[in-house]
Amino acid sequence: MDFQDILLQQIINGLSLGAMYSLLALGFTMVYGIIELINFAHFNVFMVGSFFGLWVLEATGLIGQRSTLEGLPLIGVLLLAFVCTMLLSGLLGIVIERAALRSVRQLRGTAPMILTIGISYILYNVILLTVGADTHNFANPIPVVKWQIGGAVLQLREVLLWSVSLVLMAGLHFFVRHTRIGKAMQATAQDQEAARMMGVEVDRVVILAFFIGSALAGAAGLIFGLYYNFTSYVIGYSAGLRAFTAAVLGGIGNIAGAMIGGLIIGLIESLGGQFIAVRWTDVIIFSILILVLVLRPTGLMGLSVPQKS
Amino acid sequence: MKTQKGLLAKQMLGAVGVAALLGFGALSAQAQTKTVTIGITLPLTGADAQSATLIKNGAQLAIDEANAKGAIKGYKIETIVLDSGTATAGQYDPAQAATNTKKLVSNKAVVANIGPQMSGEGKAMSPILSAGNLATITPSSTNPDITSPKFKDQFRPNGKAVYFRTVTTDAYQGPNMANYFADTLKVKSVYVLDDSGAYGVGIADTFQKQAEARGIKVLGRDQLNPKEADYTTILTKIKAANPDGLYYGGVAQAGVKLVKQAYDIVPKMIKGGGDGMVGPEYLKGAGFPAAEGWYATIASPHLLADPAAKAMIESFKKKYGTSPDDYAITSYDAAQVIIDSIKRVVATGKPVTRDAVRDAIQSAKVKTLQGEVSFDENGDIVSKVVSVFQIHKDPAHPEDDVEYQYKYVGVAPASS
Repeated sequence: MDFQDILLQQIINGLSLGAMYSLLALGFTMVYGIIELINFAHFNVFMVGSFFGLWVLEATGLIGQRSTLEGLPLIGVLLLAFVCTMLLSGLLGIVIERAALRSVRQLRGTAPMILTIGISYILYNVILLTVGADTHNFANPIPVVKWQIGGAVLQLREVLLWSVSLVLMAGLHFFVRHTRIGKAMQATAQDQEAARMMGVEVDRVVILAFFIGSALAGAAGLIFGLYYNFTSYVIGYSAGLRAFTAAVLGGIGNIAGAMIGGLIIGLIESLGGQFIAVRWTDVIIFSILILVLVLRPTGLMGLSVPQKS
Repeated sequence: MKTQKGLLAKQMLGAVGVAALLGFGALSAQAQTKTVTIGITLPLTGADAQSATLIKNGAQLAIDEANAKGAIKGYKIETIVLDSGTATAGQYDPAQAATNTKKLVSNKAVVANIGPQMSGEGKAMSPILSAGNLATITPSSTNPDITSPKFKDQFRPNGKAVYFRTVTTDAYQGPNMANYFADTLKVKSVYVLDDSGAYGVGIADTFQKQAEARGIKVLGRDQLNPKEADYTTILTKIKAANPDGLYYGGVAQAGVKLVKQAYDIVPKMIKGGGDGMVGPEYLKGAGFPAAEGWYATIASPHLLADPAAKAMIESFKKKYGTSPDDYAITSYDAAQVIIDSIKRVVATGKPVTRDAVRDAIQSAKVKTLQGEVSFDENGDIVSKVVSVFQIHKDPAHPEDDVEYQYKYVGVAPASS
């Protein structure tokens, strides 16, 4: 492999990582944009989502890496898996909001955030105690197809990962910009009181934000499983922290910022690992985060974050 | 952890209840046998839970057999099992291992311990054991520093050896595998990874040093974060460096993911690791075809194939429904050494204290499944055999059966 090949390969790796971080970062950003809450439960909604995906795939009879599908059955199974996983994860998000967060939404200060950390740990331990601590082999119906681009290798599952992420992000963008309820969300984000006076049902908007954010986390969880072919109860922490960083980097509360932030973090991770050393990855990522925040406190997509009056 | 503490609390309450009942019972039926207690500390939660459980079962089997036979006259052996894995660490947790050790040291009934599985735990435990003069025998932890006289002040400030092993150390395991890479696999260049744990860094260091001494070119060395999911970056880097071989020092949490992703990116490369590469975790979590072809070592003779171990393997399978691995057998051996030592203390007529048991272990010459076990003054086993395995699918047996899916390929040559 010469230099260009290595660079290209690491960019492919980085974009795949980045696509996953972007999807996760969207959940942080949506909830923050609307109720200014950093939702740490999101880390482990992602992890639980990957298990939902695993169970749906296993329910269709796909276990381990041996049974691959092609053509229509493949598309059918993937569609089914994504729809079910996203619905289940979205519902989990709604349950979290209804059962715990709504009652503390009016509280100022850090209490609601601490509560989300608690929920995160509950999810973590529930999975640990029910499915166990070992690494679970993830079903993988996607056939191994590789394309050689110079010395670099592009795989079918990477292309699928990018496409699914793109479709989901484009869908979200369209939804927020061009539908009535999406506009209601934007209005709530800008000024909750005014939106309420204009007839927006704020509770519904908040629930919807949790549903969509969690559904995207579920999708990211499923993608994670399909991409790495494993899942375990510990996966939420590292991916969640990076995605949260991506959201802050892009400008928390800003949807386009979350996507771009995710891609940047993914690329930093792969290129930093190649040209410096993998063991320094976290140091590199967080140094860049600090640098960006010092120079541009509102993040890269620097629109001012809506302030609660 | 909460739940485990809860469980422990319940068990303790249960124990108090039982003790109370026994107390009343003693009024009528005179107590005839005394009890001695052996601790068992292993990471039963987390990424290494499966192999830790095999180790626990190996020790428990030996103790149950001894009790059934009445091996120690007038005494019944009890065990206290403590979990050193935590949900936060996702694998063994040195802090929890230290807490467990303090618990054992403060319990006067405990005369010896079996464990830990991991060297990272051992480093945290050894100074506490030394302060309490409580001997432990580890059936699997291989980091040489813990018993080395060089680090005496750090790991056994009281001077006497308290950390005994029924396996040899990475001072042999790493270098011998480097010799195997050079002599048998004809590897000319290698990339070395570790999982940033005490064991992983140590064995990777000793491997690398010997590899360099044998003229193998080390093209790079990096460290995996075991909590990370993605190793494609480092594997791409390795692919670009194009070494003949890859050596991984570490345990399952990072290892399983490495095996999976290495199959994707560098499928043809010669890949190997130490005893952290052995366990059902790899066969289940990484599975075939990804695990196929990986080399691994253990720091003991290969015992599963030994006719001497046949009876033990049979009873193990019958009792627990799974095959043991080699470290379940070294654990069985560790328990046998402790039982024999207690027996010798009892035979002298002296009270069974942990000081006496430690001294008896130090002077042990016990016939076990791996042959006669005895220790040097640091606690290291006198035998220094390192065995090499290659993962090779045996379709006639379950895919996660360590006994059959790890094929024994020989003894790794010692350095001359």
